[in-house]
Amino acid sequence: MKAVITVLVVLILSALALVLPEYLPEAFVYLIGLTFLFIILAVSWDVMVGYTGQVNLGHTVFVGVGAYTAALLQTPERLQGTVLEFISTNPPILLSIILGGLIAALIGFVIGFITLRLKGYYFALVTAVLPLVFIESVYIWSDVFGGEEGFSIGLGNALADTTTGKYYVAFAIMFISVVIMLLLVKSPLGLKFRALREDQELAEAAGIDTVRYKLIAFLISSFFAGIGGAAIVHYRITAGPDLYNIPLMLLIILSTVVGGLGTIYGSVIGGFFIYLAKNWWLREVIDRISKVYHVPINDEIILYAILIVIAIFLPEGVYHGIKKKIQK
Amino acid sequence: MKAGKVLVGVILIALMIAGCAQQEPEEAITPEEAEPVEEVKEKIVIGVIGPMTISEGTAEKRAAMLAAEEINSEGGILGKEIEVVVGDTKLDPSTATSEFRRLATEKNAVMITGGFSSGVMNSMMDTMAETKTIFLADASSPGHPAKVAEDYETYKYWFRISQNNGTTFAWDLADMIDFFNNEQGMSIEKVYIIRDEHIWTDAVIADLTPLLEEKGVEIIKDEKVPRGYATYDVQLTEAQELGADIIMPILAIAGTGDVLAKQWAEFEVPILLAGHDLKPIDAEFYEDTNGAAEGEVFLADGGVLSTAPPTEKAAEFLETYREKYGFYPESHQAYGAYDAVYIYKMAVEAAAEAGEEDPFNPDVVVEYLEKYSPESPVELTRVIAWYDNHALVWGDDFVRNWISQWQDGEQCIIWPSNVATCDFKVPEQVSG
Amino acid sequence: MLDILIKIVVFGTIVSGIWALVASGFTLIFGVARILNFAHGSLFVLSAYVGITFVRLGFNPYVAFVLSLLVVGLFGVVIYRLFMAPIREHEVMVIIVSLSIALLMEQALLLSFGETGISFPSLVKGIVEIGGLPVPTKRIIALFIAIIALILLEYFINRTITGKKINAASQDMQMATLVGIEVERIFMLTMFISALLAALGGLLYSQIFAITPHVAVKSLIYAFAIVILGGLGSIRGSIIASFIVGYILMATIILLGARWSELIMLLTIIAILIVKPSGLFGVEE
Repeated sequence: MKAVITVLVVLILSALALVLPEYLPEAFVYLIGLTFLFIILAVSWDVMVGYTGQVNLGHTVFVGVGAYTAALLQTPERLQGTVLEFISTNPPILLSIILGGLIAALIGFVIGFITLRLKGYYFALVTAVLPLVFIESVYIWSDVFGGEEGFSIGLGNALADTTTGKYYVAFAIMFISVVIMLLLVKSPLGLKFRALREDQELAEAAGIDTVRYKLIAFLISSFFAGIGGAAIVHYRITAGPDLYNIPLMLLIILSTVVGGLGTIYGSVIGGFFIYLAKNWWLREVIDRISKVYHVPINDEIILYAILIVIAIFLPEGVYHGIKKKIQK
Repeated sequence: MKAGKVLVGVILIALMIAGCAQQEPEEAITPEEAEPVEEVKEKIVIGVIGPMTISEGTAEKRAAMLAAEEINSEGGILGKEIEVVVGDTKLDPSTATSEFRRLATEKNAVMITGGFSSGVMNSMMDTMAETKTIFLADASSPGHPAKVAEDYETYKYWFRISQNNGTTFAWDLADMIDFFNNEQGMSIEKVYIIRDEHIWTDAVIADLTPLLEEKGVEIIKDEKVPRGYATYDVQLTEAQELGADIIMPILAIAGTGDVLAKQWAEFEVPILLAGHDLKPIDAEFYEDTNGAAEGEVFLADGGVLSTAPPTEKAAEFLETYREKYGFYPESHQAYGAYDAVYIYKMAVEAAAEAGEEDPFNPDVVVEYLEKYSPESPVELTRVIAWYDNHALVWGDDFVRNWISQWQDGEQCIIWPSNVATCDFKVPEQVSG
Repeated sequence: MLDILIKIVVFGTIVSGIWALVASGFTLIFGVARILNFAHGSLFVLSAYVGITFVRLGFNPYVAFVLSLLVVGLFGVVIYRLFMAPIREHEVMVIIVSLSIALLMEQALLLSFGETGISFPSLVKGIVEIGGLPVPTKRIIALFIAIIALILLEYFINRTITGKKINAASQDMQMATLVGIEVERIFMLTMFISALLAALGGLLYSQIFAITPHVAVKSLIYAFAIVILGGLGSIRGSIIASFIVGYILMATIILLGARWSELIMLLTIIAILIVKPSGLFGVEE
């Protein structure tokens, strides 16, 4: 019964999403398309954090790696003079995106292999610092990565030629990604993830190789983050270090926190809500507020405030598992 | 817990509704802050896009609004009233492209000005190509006019109006050395460079090195510093040890030009500090460094210093700006934005006069904007003319990065002579 | 070779002193209350802004200096009480909350003060020569202030009764409560001291360099490297690590070039975290 309702709701919402472009101005369609891609980022983070309880604060590393991989594949001339100069053809967009995901997963594997044996908040600490390393590398090797400016991959490499087209492709990518991740967490694999989150020691005693499963979750998480990043580059045409940065990470955290950690649907809804909040209606609210009260306020301040409030009042519930984990 | 989440959800939805409800009319900032415009008067929308939490963005917004107000009080553009709409890029490419698109397609802006800085500009140029909106922009990366040159039909709607191409910094710096050597009787042979770790400086150095070589001037050290770098004592000491004749900063991103000046003064380094650093251009730089700026030589980006307006219109603009907002333009981008609105008006009017059917058509406007070439420039707050790649024409009689110096707590231009407002003074710690 | 060494030592020592202040504050609150306060950098930055505001209001710089320390110290306690005490057990949530506070404050400061650098007026002027290198007097004074503060800190923690209570609370919270030590009070006091140290560091830093809202997160990275190397929870470790990191930083700048300073710093943190997460003198879990 629950399953039937869920499928029905999903179908209705999808149908809604598909007809939206008919009724909304182009600028909004563009924005919502970007929101779909952001949802992939939020959901992929949830797979790691909500289900296995390992808090990865460096998720944006994978977003950025996926993004730059795809971008560089489309602009191989930037790779001249480096070890990768043999790459010379522009792959089709779909391949580019998948490669973005794969390279991100590869990086995820390396990082996971080294760091997943670290305890609770040490893992959080290392992963928190990683994005900064990648951002630095963007600045230092700016011939390749474009530095702070980022670089463009050319209009011809967009997901589609029209905004509406891009919207549909973004929706498709999101839909497929989320469904895959959903199936994965609902499978026996997902069950093992949750065992990890509830009580790592118990899981180990029950014979589950915790490091192996943490790594698998990490791979899934990083793969889809990479897909998201690559898709974003093909959507907005430019790659830039903002995709590595902390504000994006906090936006992802806020989305999953609001939606509910450990629930894929929650992250979808949370992601949709928060991304649109930041880029659309929150601005309106603030314009009105700042016209009346002269307070230093902008949309980031409000979002961080919301995150703080939620984190303080609702750290239990879905965090029950994390809490128990850390107190070891 | 569940209840708490529901509560938060309700609050967020309430906020959203509150936001949506106000969405349509209030957003546009009409220059008079009046009630919604009646349908009777025809409007024309001009957009300003930039990072609205920092001075570059707010200066553009204020300047554009000022220009619109002035033009509207004299009948608008071809009888249509200008409405200014604002987009905030937050220096983020995703947000910037989204905002640009919103201004262009939802607000129907016919011209958009702004675009700080280079990274965000890149992404917006692609959106501009799609929406075919006239984009009178700032930032200085040579990459932007290069795009116009490479793919004219796609990117022709872009013109840079705020300042010269980044490459001109090299020319101005080389001329500065000449000025010191040939006109001031100094003998600058060894240059110690401190520059941003960024591709924009790579381009400058690439052009500067051969120019200096011709003059027999050697770059004895090329130190790249990351963002926020603050321990310049190392570089200052090294410059002394290497016998440098001049310490030349090429800084914009590092953001710590004030620290450099402070330490230069503090350590009483007996070497001239002269180069291209964005920080000394700020009117409060002297105060911010507690006077350490005294004697520093710098380039005035965009060809204007509030203490030395190059044209009459610039002088007027400065005063009107101050009257309306209480201070002089907080950033040199203001001049670009102001000129942008005026030059757009002029181009459209010229098109109408020449009998064009649709003078607001972007392809038509591009043609008429292009008429402002080196042979026939137009004088606004600066003298504007464009090259084929839509970069600003550089020259003594056009826009160039005036060589300026902080003297007695104030900025003044020391070269070229047709705009100079003071004589070069050797800083005490250098001569003494 | 020798003169390079002298440079590293002379320039490095002074910067290290300030970082030692910041790092020990950070490690103190962690060691005692297991709180990873990502907003520590914001306190560092806030002191300069508060100080400058007082100066602009007409206060004498010395008075402004002291007032600023107190204000930021109290602010730290308030943040702790409101946002961290309630969720103290959820260490990762504390990270997320404190990170949000840090970014929120960065935005608020940006909106209020803009991006221009703030310099606290120099309280001392002049230059002396050390090992053939010119060193402004105020840096030496800053170093002394830092050292004195740290010595006082050591003394306080190890010799006074309150200090011992703090030690006890950090070693075993439950035991401390049983013995009658009001743990929550201790935490608030510790937070005050931690914030005070950050504030002192910030005021000194803004005299020698300059502070912008962005420095908050950047300075956190340096504090991190130091604290991790020294061992989370060990003040002594932080102090020693500050100097090690300071010298590594200087050596990198002098020998490799300024552009590598950031990257080397970050890679060092990661390497340490992976190889020996508990650092040199770390408190074991």
